[in-house]
Amino acid sequence: MTTPPPAANPATAQPTAAHPTPDAHPVISAHGLTKSFGSVRALDRLDLAIARGEVHGFLGPNGAGKSTTIRILLGLLRPDAGSVRMFDRDPWRDAVELHRRLAYVPGDVEVWPHLTGGEIIDMFLRLRGDYSARRRNALVDRFELDPRKKARTYSKGNRQKVALIAALAADVDLLLLDEPTAGLDPLMEAVFQEVIRERTAEGTSVLLSSHILSQVEALSDRVSIIRAGRIVESGSLTDLRHMSRTTIEVDTAQPAHDLAALDGVHHVRAEAGRTVFDVDGDRVSHVVSALAPLGVRSLTAHPPTLEQLLMRHYGDTTASRH
Amino acid sequence: MTTTDDPNTATAIGDRAPMTRRDPSQETRPHRTAPLTAAPALVRFLLRVDRIRALVWVLGIGALALYFSHAIQVIAGDDETLAELAGLYADPVGRMMVGPGFGMDSPTHERFFAAGYAFVLYIALALLSVFTVIRHTRADEQAGRAELLRANVVGRHATLAAALIVTMLLVLASTVLIAVSALSAGFAWEGSLLIAGTGAATGLFFAGAAAVAAQLSSSSRGASGLAGGLIGLAYVIRMAGDAPEVGGTALSWASPLGWAQQTAPYVDDLWWPVLLLAGGGLLLVGLGFSLSTRRDVGEGILPARLSRAEARPALGTPLGMAARTLVGTLRGWGIALLLAGLMFGSYSQTMLDAAGSLPPELADFFTGEDVMLGYLAYIALFMGVLVLAAAVGGLQQIRGEETRGRAEYGLSSPLSRTTWLGAHLTVVLAGVVLILAAVGAAMGLGAALSLEDDGGRYAGELIAAALQQAPAVVCVIGIVTALIGWLPRAAAPVGWASVAFCGFMGTFGGLLDPPDALLDLDPFHHLASHPVEPVAWEPIVWLTAIGAAGIVLGLLGWRRREVGRI
Repeated sequence: MTTPPPAANPATAQPTAAHPTPDAHPVISAHGLTKSFGSVRALDRLDLAIARGEVHGFLGPNGAGKSTTIRILLGLLRPDAGSVRMFDRDPWRDAVELHRRLAYVPGDVEVWPHLTGGEIIDMFLRLRGDYSARRRNALVDRFELDPRKKARTYSKGNRQKVALIAALAADVDLLLLDEPTAGLDPLMEAVFQEVIRERTAEGTSVLLSSHILSQVEALSDRVSIIRAGRIVESGSLTDLRHMSRTTIEVDTAQPAHDLAALDGVHHVRAEAGRTVFDVDGDRVSHVVSALAPLGVRSLTAHPPTLEQLLMRHYGDTTASRH
Repeated sequence: MTTTDDPNTATAIGDRAPMTRRDPSQETRPHRTAPLTAAPALVRFLLRVDRIRALVWVLGIGALALYFSHAIQVIAGDDETLAELAGLYADPVGRMMVGPGFGMDSPTHERFFAAGYAFVLYIALALLSVFTVIRHTRADEQAGRAELLRANVVGRHATLAAALIVTMLLVLASTVLIAVSALSAGFAWEGSLLIAGTGAATGLFFAGAAAVAAQLSSSSRGASGLAGGLIGLAYVIRMAGDAPEVGGTALSWASPLGWAQQTAPYVDDLWWPVLLLAGGGLLLVGLGFSLSTRRDVGEGILPARLSRAEARPALGTPLGMAARTLVGTLRGWGIALLLAGLMFGSYSQTMLDAAGSLPPELADFFTGEDVMLGYLAYIALFMGVLVLAAAVGGLQQIRGEETRGRAEYGLSSPLSRTTWLGAHLTVVLAGVVLILAAVGAAMGLGAALSLEDDGGRYAGELIAAALQQAPAVVCVIGIVTALIGWLPRAAAPVGWASVAFCGFMGTFGGLLDPPDALLDLDPFHHLASHPVEPVAWEPIVWLTAIGAAGIVLGLLGWRRREVGRI
């Protein structure tokens, strides 16, 4: 339970801006970002790197610092310490130039109550420059939004659709999405995933902040997990699973209590007559060979879900608070 | 203590159900909850939520009453001064401003209080009612809080009933303080109680109006606009009714505020107009309850209309975006002030006729010899202060864009900070100039219609007189903008305090003879009283310079500070 996060984090330890060729330039690179609001430390030496064309999942609970990070990337807040570059420019100083290349969907969208959804979408698209009306209308249809209604009459989900369409119809290189599908129903969630895949196929990069794990799992190439203002883990989903434990449920002819003594085995417990335990990723083969002599009647092993990955880190927080 | 209050209230709402089922009147329909189920618990809950706000309103109205009733005795110490001041409220302009002016032919302190100041208390109570009712009905519904409450065992009418009960509790508490204030100043019992009773009935009337408005409009802003507009309309009708003769005319009786003032406290002490107000209020309350059963939660009786599916090209520009945000507020102010200007202008002939018979102190109050031009100059100043209020409202809306997160969203497009704030300020400044020009033209038109010979001769001067107020407005806009850039939390309070200060100095500055330092703080005070005096360019230049400097400073601060740090 009290296992500290891995000391050498493969993703963050990589030198991200080492290669001078244009394609190697990350879309976003942040190092040691620190930001305090009064006595509350919202970001604590946060590192983040997003490569071109990548969908980067940004996972963490409320208050972990996801929105603060995105506001810094938008040039609305200034970090107290650390460096941040977007398309190799300074998000605070070059905000306007950078904003031509990105679109943003806020988490809790406040829109102009006296404008219609269609007007808000057009306003954003026009402020950004040229846009394809065909693409805009297609998205309005796909998200099943009635663009003639005043925004004050929209539900939260519909307000979210307005912001999503305004961002997804834009011809940009980067999408900053802060909990973009909060309030959308599962059908619309599916449409959202479809459209994101189309955009990334065109080379758009996406920073997808979320706590909806299935969404991140379905879309992300890489994931960064943020907790209390720090990235605690970062890598591809395969990397993270590898670093995590596998859960094994086994029914053996002979009692399996001795497993607990094995290196890398945790939480041995009996559930409905079966023995259930977690194994560190790199110890699985060891444990399986130790099980064989006990007469295995059935065995199921499943990789950790993102819930479990998160639980591991947030479990740590709650434990350390005691 | 405080932490346990809310959970208690929550359980109280839930616990109410079994009690009502035992209620014998409900035995015929045992499966339905009574329409007022949980209302008492809601009342306690609303009082808890509102405790600070309620205290500020009640004590504020009480303090105002205390100040008015005691200050009169200081301002008008001897009978001679009293008689002179009473003349102000006996003439047509005075009557138009404050009311029918009962008893001003033989004034006493209490009559002066009733004739000149009671209307301020009535309007304050009307506003308290409207804001409190809308806040706990339509505003809660719009924010979705009502849904949360109604999902509990809460009767169909409980929320509206609770809102009305809370409102009337605040109104009654305020009127008790009003009565105590008047009595403490040594005023007669009956008249003092009559003023308090009239205040309570006025509160009830407008609480009823707000209850109806909350059913009609689906937005809290629309509902407040409807009910608040009714107060304004009542005031304007009363103005037109009271101006022609002492005691008002038939038109005065077309306004609920007119009914309130026809009670003539300390003179005739009529109680039956109070019944008119209270009866009207009860009818409106009944209408509100009845309308509320004809609509769904969250919806309004007036339908929300469909509008454009695509934006006009102008909306895609920074100015277009700013205009769409701000134009609604400015247009509302503009129309109201245009009508007011037309009406005030149309009193020109009355003033000309009255000039011969006016007491000299009125001529002192309005600068210059020519009473009519003095009156028009004063109205231009008065309009300037109201346009300042419109401008501060606009600036507060700009700040609201930031606190509500829309600035953050808007700035995620390729708009620079300077462009964003600059565009919004441009709209406010353009609005100020346009409204002032329109008000001046409306005053000119009103004068032209009313004056018997060569009516149009003042039109140009009146437009200039109104436009001349712009530098004072710009000066305050600059100060508030600088605060938006550097000390955003202070912007709205300082802005509204400036409006109140300028309004107070404009209305009472000549009467109270305040120290020069205080007069100098009022930007409007430095401007010439055009058309009595020629336009003075020096104050125009330096007031505009202060405004421009403030705007530049504000833009610099806004560029370098963080957005959304509220």
